[in-house]
Amino acid sequence: MSHHLHLADEGRAAGPRQGPRLLDNAAVLPRHGTESLTGVGRQDLPAHRAAHGPRLSHLGHLGDDLVAAMETVHLTGRGGGHFPAAAKWRSVAAHGPGGTVVVNGAEGEPGCAKDAVLLQTRPHLVLDGLVAAIEFIGATEGVVWIHDGAWRTAQSVTHAIAERIAAREGDPPIRVIAAPDRYLSGEATGIIRTLEGGPTLPRWVADPARPWSEGQRPVLVNNAETMARAGLLGHVGVDGYAPTSLLTVINDTYRAVVEVGPDETFDDVVASRWRSPDGHAPQAVLLGGYGGSWVAWERLRHLPVDNAALREHGLSVGAGLLGPLPANACGIEESAALLRYLAGQSARQCGPCLFGLSAASSLVDDLTAGKLSRSGRSTLDRYVGEISGRGACRHPDGALRMLTSGLQVFHDDVHRHRKGRTCNAPNHSVMPLPEEGS
Amino acid sequence: MSRVAPLRSARPQADPAHPHLRLDPSVCDGVGICAHLAPDLVAVDSWGYPIVSGTALDSKSLRRQADAAARACPRKALHVQ
Repeated sequence: MSHHLHLADEGRAAGPRQGPRLLDNAAVLPRHGTESLTGVGRQDLPAHRAAHGPRLSHLGHLGDDLVAAMETVHLTGRGGGHFPAAAKWRSVAAHGPGGTVVVNGAEGEPGCAKDAVLLQTRPHLVLDGLVAAIEFIGATEGVVWIHDGAWRTAQSVTHAIAERIAAREGDPPIRVIAAPDRYLSGEATGIIRTLEGGPTLPRWVADPARPWSEGQRPVLVNNAETMARAGLLGHVGVDGYAPTSLLTVINDTYRAVVEVGPDETFDDVVASRWRSPDGHAPQAVLLGGYGGSWVAWERLRHLPVDNAALREHGLSVGAGLLGPLPANACGIEESAALLRYLAGQSARQCGPCLFGLSAASSLVDDLTAGKLSRSGRSTLDRYVGEISGRGACRHPDGALRMLTSGLQVFHDDVHRHRKGRTCNAPNHSVMPLPEEGS
Repeated sequence: MSRVAPLRSARPQADPAHPHLRLDPSVCDGVGICAHLAPDLVAVDSWGYPIVSGTALDSKSLRRQADAAARACPRKALHVQ
C-alpha cells in the first residue's frame, strides 16, 4: 500500500504538471452527512490569497482569456455529460448581460461529499470561480446553492462571503440559498425554477442550452467543483493546472474525499484509500453516483482516473462516487436497495419515473428474495425499455443505468437468486443511504 | 450504460422547419386522449402514459393528428414545435 502511494507521489513530483491542486490532503467524513470533516483545514481569505495570489478581474478580455484557458484544459461539468464549461459560459453570456450565476453545492448523492469538502475547506477557490463567471457573463448576482441541514457548509460559505466584503474585494452580491435535502435538489432545472419563484423540482426544457423561462433572465449553473477549478485555473494558468478528479471513496465506517491525478489508476486509489472488510479486492465498483454504473473490478482496476480515458469505455467519474463492493457482499441486494431509494426520490412529476421506477424496484426486490419468475424477468426488461429517456430530467435514466449495469456485472448473483434461493451474503448496505442513519 | 445512453438523442431540440410532437412529461397526467387522436404518433406505456414518436410531422395526416392531440390535452403537455 505505502509502496503504491510512494510511487504515485514520486510520479507527481517529477511530472510536468505540479501546480497547486484543489486539496493538499485526503478529507475524511462519516458515512452520513457532512457535519464532521477531518484531514483538510479551511483556507481563510488571507491563507487563500497567500497561496494563490490577489483577486483577479475577469472583465472584458481577461474573462475571455480565462474561458479560453478553460477550453484548453477541457474543463467540463460534473453531470456525467462532460459538457464543456467554456461553451456553457459563452452560451449564457450570449443572452446577457444580466442574470444569475449559481454554484451548485447541493450534492444530492448521499454517498458523495466532494462539494461539501470544497465549500468547507476551499470556499475562496469556489467563490473566485463564481466571481469570474459573474464578471465574464455580466451577471448581476451570484448564488451558492446548498442543501438544508448542511450547517457546516453554510457557515463556511457565509463566513467566506463576509471575509471578502470586509477585505473590500469588490465582489458582486452573492447569496446563499438552502434547498430541501433531497436527491434531486441539485438538479439544474429545479434550481432555475426556484430562482424564478417556482418549486424546487426538475422541469422539462425544450432547449437544453436555454434552460430558463421565456422572458426570464439567463442563469448559469455550475457544480462547486467546476467553479473551484475555474477559480484555480485563473490563478495558475494552463501550464500550472493539474487535471485531477475528486473522488469520494466509500468505506465501511467512513468516506474519504481524495484528489486523484490522471496518472493514477483505480487500483492505486483503492489500494491506498479503501479498507477491505475481508482482505480481498472488491468484486465491482459503483462509479459516478447512485445513478452511475457498476463496473467489474477486473475491468476497472487498470484504467486511469481520467474522464477522457474513461469515456472511451463508456464510463464517467460523474459526481465522483467510488463505491467498492466487497467480495462478501451481494451486488443484486445492493442494487435493489439503491433502486428502492432512487424510486423513492422521484420528484413524482413524470409518470414513467413515478410509477415505472417503483414497479421496476418491486420486481428487483422479488429477484433479491428469489421470487422473480421468468416472465417477471422479461417484464423487468420491458419496463427498463419503457422508462428510459422519458423523464423531464435524467433521474430515471440514471437509476436504470445503475440497475442494468448491475444486472450485467452481477450476472452470477442474478442466476443464484433466480433458483428460488437467496445468496446469504454476510455484508449488507455497503452504500450509505439516508434512512440507514436516521 | 450503453442501453441507456443512446436515448439521449430521443430529446431533439425544437426545429421550426421540421416540427415534431413533443411532450412535457412533468405536466402529463396520463389522461390518454392523445393516444386516441394521434394513433400514429402516440403509444401508451404500462402505466397509461404516452410514448410519443420522435418522427417528423412530414405528412398532412401526421400534422393533423399532432395538432388535434396538442389542442385536446387537458394538461397542455403536448406541443408541436
